[in-house]
Amino acid sequence: MLNKITIDDATLEQRVYQLNLGPQHPSTHGVMQFILTLDGELVVACEPNIGYSHRGHEKIAENRIYEQFLPYPPRMDYLSALIFNYGYCQAVERLCGIEVPRRAEYIRVITSELNRISSHFIGAFDLVMALGAFTPFMYCWDDREVLLDLLEGVAGSRLTYCYGRFGGVRNDIDKAFYDGTRRFIDRLRGRMKDYHDLVTGNIIFIKRAKDIGIITKETALEFGVTGPSLRGSGVKYDVRKQEPYSVYPEFKFEIPTREEGDCLARYQVRMAEIEQSMNIIEQALDHLPPGPIQAKVPRFISPPEGEGYFAFESARGAVGFYIVSDGSRVPYRIKVRSPSFSNLYVMTKICPGHFLADVIAIFGSIDVTVPEIDR
Amino acid sequence: MSTPGQKKLQEKLKNSLTQAVPQGKVEEVDYAGTGCHLEVLLDGEGMRPVAQVMKEKQFYLETITAVDYIDFFELVYVYSTYYQDMIRAKCRIRIPKEATPLSISPIYSGAIWLEREVYDFFGIRFQEHPDLKRIINPDNVDYFPLLKNFGKTKFTAEIDDILC
Repeated sequence: MLNKITIDDATLEQRVYQLNLGPQHPSTHGVMQFILTLDGELVVACEPNIGYSHRGHEKIAENRIYEQFLPYPPRMDYLSALIFNYGYCQAVERLCGIEVPRRAEYIRVITSELNRISSHFIGAFDLVMALGAFTPFMYCWDDREVLLDLLEGVAGSRLTYCYGRFGGVRNDIDKAFYDGTRRFIDRLRGRMKDYHDLVTGNIIFIKRAKDIGIITKETALEFGVTGPSLRGSGVKYDVRKQEPYSVYPEFKFEIPTREEGDCLARYQVRMAEIEQSMNIIEQALDHLPPGPIQAKVPRFISPPEGEGYFAFESARGAVGFYIVSDGSRVPYRIKVRSPSFSNLYVMTKICPGHFLADVIAIFGSIDVTVPEIDR
Repeated sequence: MSTPGQKKLQEKLKNSLTQAVPQGKVEEVDYAGTGCHLEVLLDGEGMRPVAQVMKEKQFYLETITAVDYIDFFELVYVYSTYYQDMIRAKCRIRIPKEATPLSISPIYSGAIWLEREVYDFFGIRFQEHPDLKRIINPDNVDYFPLLKNFGKTKFTAEIDDILC
């Protein structure tokens, strides 16, 4: 089992000691702690200690009506907030059997892909920053700023959006958003070359990230790893393709994969996914249908008695909302399957044997958001 | 909307599950309304044989959770495939309040944390779990937050009356 060698088993010669990384550490992306058992500089065991930003969303859900819980899922994963917002809407819609208008679905796809790009920027370049290169991170922040402005224009907030409603979205997109998105995509296509020149081919980056933290397919299956971390291990799994929801089947896009399963592969998958997201947005903008953006839904929703597990793909992997309804206006139980939770746990398996500095690289490449783990 | 490949896999899985847990009820459910293709209903035990079948069929463990139904708990295991012809199977096991179900961590390592989470929020103690302690809540608290009677006061009861 895990943690075979503990601090208690250490002999004098081994020089095994424990090191606390976090909870306040710049490269832990939030408030979380690693308890690392080290032999010299080699990691013997790695135990993440989570729960610092637990706010009890699942308990809150049991004391709110369905509409009141709408702003909470975006606060779980603040980097891909819109995707969580739509995911919750979609789960309740499928439980009630509400049909969403096509225009609303297209708007959802456009905005959630924009959100995915902004999240992948952080995911890919936080790794680069963790490895010591600060400049690329500022470059991506420049692009991300445009994105946040665009989304602020339609959703009203910059990070924790609550734009989705049951049966559609809050308001229609305007011309400024439409033109701005087109301009942004054109600009980003040019910028991607800069990123690849600056980071992807950088020899220092490759030496730090190659063959570090390899997740094999078997490990991934055993731990339930999903998202870019899984696709970096050569498994072609994406909820958008395997289990199509919304209007994703109407778009042509690839699932980028890499066979290596190391930090570099996960970075490359993220960069390739940004390009795929751009393709989806362009196709969606080309074929944006006219029509209503809100289905007719009752003011207060009370799903029929029953339960359902509805999955969708966030920027970090497969998220699932398990909703149990007792027929009233208040959910009986809502459970969120957070991808970061499973992705983080795999670190206990892959970290031993690496250097301490590589733990930072592995953690950066797995790209978790801490509030989503703790919920 | 299921493809022929999905139908075939579903049929095969249903047969193996019925063999593994003859005491349980394996039924096909409506995918559109529940998000799952197969549902296994069990009483008391049987999580290990189901997990064994799932592991052999290359399913990954999506999540483990519990629901507090006041008189009893229901453990919910959700499995899904990585590969084309995706199938999602849900295993619902009804257990008494004071039961100590078997851990499936020898089969799926990822279950270690998921079961710790269930213990943390519901107080369900899993047998043969390598490291059963709290995970998200602080170690020194004595409550289990997702139990239905946690945090209930006269005031919240009034709110419930208004809402429901």
